[in-house]
Amino acid sequence: MTDPGALNTYLPTLIRYLLVMIGIGVIMVVVYRVQRALGVKQEAATGRTLVVPWIIGFVIFTVFTIGASFYLSFTEYNLFSAPEWVGLENYQDLFDVSAGTLESREQRSTDVLERRHQEIVRVEVGGGGFVFGAREHAFWRSMRLTLLYSFISVPLGLFGALGVALLLNQKVRFLSFWRVLYYMPAILPAVATALLWRWMFSQNGIINSLTAPIWQGFGWEAPRWFTDPALALPAFIIISLWGIFGANSVILLAGLKGIPQELYEAAAIDGAGSWAKFRHVTIPMLSPALFYNLVTGTIGALQVFEIAAFIQTPAAVGTFLNWLIYQEAFNLRNMGMASAMAWIMLLIILALTALIFRSSSAWVFYQGAREEAA
Amino acid sequence: MKIRLMASMLVLLLVTGAVAAQDVPTITISTWAGVDEAAEFQTILDDINANTTEFQVVHQPIPADYYTVVQTQLAAPGSGADMYWMDQNNMALAADGVFMDLSQCLADSEPQTAGDLSDYYPGILAVNEHDGGVYGLPWIAQPVVLYFNRGLFDAADMDYPTNEWTWDDFMTAATALTLDNDGDGNTDQWGFTNNSWPPPYIFIWQAGGELINADFTEVPLDSPEAVAGMEFYLNTAYNPEMSPSREIIAEQGFGEMFKAGRIAMFMGGAADDLDRVEGLDVGVVPVPANPDTGSRTTFAWNASTVVNASSPLAQENPELLCDALVAVTEGIHHWKVLSPRISQGTAEFLAESEPRKADSAEAIIEAAQDMRALPIFGDYAEFDAIFWSEFWGPLINDETDLSVAELAAEIRPELEDTLP
Repeated sequence: MTDPGALNTYLPTLIRYLLVMIGIGVIMVVVYRVQRALGVKQEAATGRTLVVPWIIGFVIFTVFTIGASFYLSFTEYNLFSAPEWVGLENYQDLFDVSAGTLESREQRSTDVLERRHQEIVRVEVGGGGFVFGAREHAFWRSMRLTLLYSFISVPLGLFGALGVALLLNQKVRFLSFWRVLYYMPAILPAVATALLWRWMFSQNGIINSLTAPIWQGFGWEAPRWFTDPALALPAFIIISLWGIFGANSVILLAGLKGIPQELYEAAAIDGAGSWAKFRHVTIPMLSPALFYNLVTGTIGALQVFEIAAFIQTPAAVGTFLNWLIYQEAFNLRNMGMASAMAWIMLLIILALTALIFRSSSAWVFYQGAREEAA
Repeated sequence: MKIRLMASMLVLLLVTGAVAAQDVPTITISTWAGVDEAAEFQTILDDINANTTEFQVVHQPIPADYYTVVQTQLAAPGSGADMYWMDQNNMALAADGVFMDLSQCLADSEPQTAGDLSDYYPGILAVNEHDGGVYGLPWIAQPVVLYFNRGLFDAADMDYPTNEWTWDDFMTAATALTLDNDGDGNTDQWGFTNNSWPPPYIFIWQAGGELINADFTEVPLDSPEAVAGMEFYLNTAYNPEMSPSREIIAEQGFGEMFKAGRIAMFMGGAADDLDRVEGLDVGVVPVPANPDTGSRTTFAWNASTVVNASSPLAQENPELLCDALVAVTEGIHHWKVLSPRISQGTAEFLAESEPRKADSAEAIIEAAQDMRALPIFGDYAEFDAIFWSEFWGPLINDETDLSVAELAAEIRPELEDTLP
């Protein structure tokens, strides 16, 4: 049946769209006229005026939301009531952690941790050990999972991508085909790949079927990838490698193609072998591309969302931080706490990115910068 | 020329809009319905729209990420639909003032119609009440019942479950029906399965315990009765003598294992399709009773339709919205299992609403007499999160060193902090 009220339903929205467009148009005209009145040349005034819609959008949808999120992190806010200022309470709750010494391996963590704290990490040393706990244990478990995932998957992905790029840089047949094939994971929807991997990692999935001779040979049970706390992280890392090999390889391949052949010829004249050429020509010349991949890969790994949404992890493992923030905000409607988590995550990303940038002077070689300096 | 053309189109759009605006008011309703459910719902709306000149109801389904979308719409006054479906947990939003109070406009409703509040099961209606107001009309109350695979009982030469079963009878049967059929040393068939579903509340209530006391001041999870109920539940969960492990459930699917003929007994909602699986002969009975208390209390999942308090129509013409809500709810009551109305709580009415449930109708109606809804309050989402993540999750996943009683006593103050 034709919807009898479609026009009625959407007309107010259409009118609002039109009013917004008219409003932006008026602002642009005013900005242009003011500039001209101030004696700005026509070309410059036109250019600045054309940027106005973007600036309006940036201020409203980026600057304002970032500021609002920062403010909300100091409040208790459930979307419907006015935010209530609670100062640093959300941050204090998140950093309410405790540690204790275990006198024996069998001792319960609840005996040594503060009340309402749950175990995050247990380190057994000799007959005893240490245990660390937190009130917001879900946050710290997620932090642990997300950081471990990033620290392992990013370097592995980078080395793997470099290997693939070196292979694709050889004179092989059907090179375009191989490049397309390796780039394919980067263009597939993350949701589809998450579901595909979940199926492949199931107990009777293709991965366990292919590896059956190995684990059966040792008399082991079939791995339970996403339900065994010890295997969940390795499974996620395998998934991540599949995706980042492709995208990173193409960037590194472009970098390899850009290395001047005369550098290799000069190295050969100096008696350099394959390894020396790779170590002293390829790696330095490729370091800007490696640096770029490291920065974007680290940020991307810390912000994993889709696979966390579609593949459940055991409670003891936690989930990825971005997914936890989403749940805190929209399932529990604790916008304040979710904002505080997001700001801690942002600070971690900034700190790691800054660390990578600081380290770049030691290992990233910019040919242009050297030429300028010379 | 182009400017003239655009101006003409704009004027045409506005004129058409103005003409359309003079038609009968359009009332929008958003639901989580997927393709099939939306198609069935549309036939109800078509029927309503064909029989009224007062309004036209338009369905705006949001089949994915429903509550995220709805919450953002409700948080932006004046946006979103006029009416929404809400499950019991999200009726807690009534405390935030985002739903219209219906008590005034429903006051003069005809008896035994969807607007007659006295015709609803009191426990189900209570989920919709807050501070003396009524904020939603329930459209479903789905008691948990026991589905059983007759074929597996026949193969083991065992009697079928009955309405008189206690948990002792159940445990005996579940254990006897857990079998290694091919003799390879691995279990192929289990008597029962649970993984936090069915919800533990059933067992707490049946044992005489409470999740939250009647005046919402205490969370007596550490009472001996509540602890006994939860300990019984935990004894059945992932117990290799009667239930599959969590890993097997995660990999083979929870309800799917019953549908595949690998589980003999399964507790599901009355509306579930477990009794019409091709190739399976499935029976339905109410859940077994606690042998000590005799209680057969079961959990009722329920949902309601609410009116968006910030919808322009709710300000301009609340009576009209109320009429539409009653009409829509009346239609749903003749569609969904089980209608939450006492006058419609008969096997005949149920079978007429959903002919595929005709064979289970008697058992469902029997179960409905003992169904109970969750005690919902403003911060229920917070309570629910703490209950599952810090209490029940660690217990059922063996992630705590504490006993049920110890953890219940420890978590109790935290849960009580969320109470109104």
